[in-house]
Amino acid sequence: MIVLSHVGKSFDNGTTYPVKDLSLEIRQGETMILVGSSGCGKTTTLKMINRLIEPTEGTIEIGGRNVMEQDPVQLRRSIGYVFQGIGLFPHMTIRENVGIVPRLLGWSPEKRRAEATRLLELVGLPDRDYGSRFPDELSGGQQQRVGVARALAADPEYLLMDEPFGALDPVTRETLQQEMLRIKSRLRKTIVFVTHDIFEALTLGDRIAVLHDGNVEQVGTKEELLRSPATNMVKELFSRPALRSAAFADLL
Amino acid sequence: MSEPHWLFFVVDRLAELRLRTGEHIVLTAVSTVVAITAAIPLGILACRRTWLRGPVMGSVSILQTIPSLAMLAMLLAALGKIGVIPAVIALTLYALLPMVRNTVTGIEGVPAEIVEAARGIGMTARQDLWMVRMPIATPVIVAGIRTAAVVGVGIATLSAFIGAGGLGQFINRGLAMSNTSLILLGAIPAALLALLVDSSIAAVQWALKRRRKDEIHRTTPFLRGVALFQPFVLVAAGFFAAYSDSTDTNVRGGSHEKPSAVIKIGSKAFTEQFILGEMMAQLIESHTKLAAKRVFNLGGTLICHNALVNGEIDVYPEYTGTALTAILGRSTVRDPGEALAIVAKAYEKRFRVDWLQPFGFDNSYSITVREDDAVRNGWERISDLAGKAAHLKAGFTAEFAERPDGYPGLARAYGYQFGDVVDVDSSLMYQAAAKGDVDVICAYTTDGRIAAYKLKPLVDDRRFFPPYQAAPVVRNAALERHPELGRVLNLLAGKIDNATMRRLNYQVDVDGRSAREAAREFLIARGLIRRDHR
Repeated sequence: MIVLSHVGKSFDNGTTYPVKDLSLEIRQGETMILVGSSGCGKTTTLKMINRLIEPTEGTIEIGGRNVMEQDPVQLRRSIGYVFQGIGLFPHMTIRENVGIVPRLLGWSPEKRRAEATRLLELVGLPDRDYGSRFPDELSGGQQQRVGVARALAADPEYLLMDEPFGALDPVTRETLQQEMLRIKSRLRKTIVFVTHDIFEALTLGDRIAVLHDGNVEQVGTKEELLRSPATNMVKELFSRPALRSAAFADLL
Repeated sequence: MSEPHWLFFVVDRLAELRLRTGEHIVLTAVSTVVAITAAIPLGILACRRTWLRGPVMGSVSILQTIPSLAMLAMLLAALGKIGVIPAVIALTLYALLPMVRNTVTGIEGVPAEIVEAARGIGMTARQDLWMVRMPIATPVIVAGIRTAAVVGVGIATLSAFIGAGGLGQFINRGLAMSNTSLILLGAIPAALLALLVDSSIAAVQWALKRRRKDEIHRTTPFLRGVALFQPFVLVAAGFFAAYSDSTDTNVRGGSHEKPSAVIKIGSKAFTEQFILGEMMAQLIESHTKLAAKRVFNLGGTLICHNALVNGEIDVYPEYTGTALTAILGRSTVRDPGEALAIVAKAYEKRFRVDWLQPFGFDNSYSITVREDDAVRNGWERISDLAGKAAHLKAGFTAEFAERPDGYPGLARAYGYQFGDVVDVDSSLMYQAAAKGDVDVICAYTTDGRIAAYKLKPLVDDRRFFPPYQAAPVVRNAALERHPELGRVLNLLAGKIDNATMRRLNYQVDVDGRSAREAAREFLIARGLIRRDHR
């Protein structure tokens, strides 16, 4: 369980707060989507969970322990992270990229190899075909699969995903979302997933938190959000894309 | 000569070419390795402590802007040494900028998303640096090393000025003697060496590069091994060529008997000095049991003087006028005897250095015109130009045109000015006068080109120019340890008048003979050494 209580962050000594008094509970094993428009504070919130950004106010607890009381390096190694920019290490093979966290944790080469093989299989890039390639030999979609596999290495309980499919084309994105569904139902991780894509939120989220101006506008399942939006903003956020795609539905 | 005489030219000098190339490789290799071990940590430090970036980059940039000769002179003053050590230090300092800058650029240039990923998955700052940033920055850093090494091969040619050897020896000697072949004998191997060094480092990089699966079949472990190993072979060959003994007697001279001690003879970097140095060396070799080591080509008066005072050399030829102004910082003295007395006394007291008896010539400035002009107008003395001066065009070196003991003083002493005065380089002024571009030049009295270009030096009838009598200056310590040295060097006293020195310079500058030959022939002709001496 991840609990954020009254979390605030200011980058300019208190003049402005991109995140302000934000409280949110992510239950064990659920996928929580943070959704909202640009600048709503969703990425900042995500990065505070593993201390890539440190909160100015409030507390964040993971499994009952305050993150600020943990060593940031150890903390990050225990949390899988999938980056918006993918961020594979270009000088390492796919296998080495996937095995990097186990390497930081001091696993033996054989164990690392076995872990990489297992995870590459899971994301559909078999080690014997892809393991010794370098990232620039893979397509964007394949690279982000590797990114997911890297985040899953060493079996972390928690997974943070920062707009992981944002840079991919719609078809690839759709495929990866489907695979993500499959992976999450198999592994039952606790996932915090940031996106600005409403359909992605609806597809992947067990619950969705709508963020606006650095605060939570509404949290709930997709049914709750769609049927009883708490504010006009939430209503707009979901209805507008739905109406737009309905406009094309007749043509298909 | 229509035969491929360049071939003989090169073959004659193969032993020295090997020695100089070896020295050059050693200078470049040692300084590059030292610079790498300093520059990469400096670059890393500048990245990790951002407040250090400005000072670090600033200092290495300033080092780069110091002119090479000034750098060598400064190091010489600071270390009190000539030779390999100041040369290596100078080369190392010059190599720092490209290496440090590329290290910083390479480390900073790692894309932001990769840096974020490294932090986000839980790397420590150290792991981030060594597992991610450095491997990604390596090609940029190696590019910096390549730049530095290639530039280093170029700058190393200047090391010859402070007696560190290298291919610059040929270039400097060639420049001093207006001998293009000699310049090329240094410049071409230096250029080839630069290419070799560049490709050698490139090959190491190639060997170390991680390969994609589909590229691996294009290489073999053997080839990669060779590529990794070859720089060591190159450097080892350099050390061997520079320091193995077989070349020594051949190139550096010396008798075949085991010498009891070595006298190090210095010279500045121009023809006359080489000839005088050779004469002294050959006399020592034939009249004493001492060996003579030739440390020629030193880049200027101050470098020679420092080397002498610090015992890096034991003797070199100096001029009374130069010693007065450049070393002692005094004004010139008109009377030659008085000038010699002053410098001899001051040197003895301040530097523990003896002035031996002058060779007999006086290498001063002389106002020089074309011979046929002189005959037509009846010019013999400088005062004879007075009537015509307003119609004459003078070509003077920049130094002569400015110095109070140059043109300004001359104009005052003789009471006339030339119609037009232009700046000419000292190596070009003789030709300029011969071709009629200028009518009057400030020739050096003993320059061989005066005769070569049919020019006539005019008599300084008002004794304006101070005396520049040449004589050996010797360390007291050397004279005390080897009393025969003073006696042998004084064999040359008064033996070389202006015309003789001019003729010897002419043989080397114009006829293209070596200083060694010209000196030897002169000594034999005067009965100072025997023909069968080698």
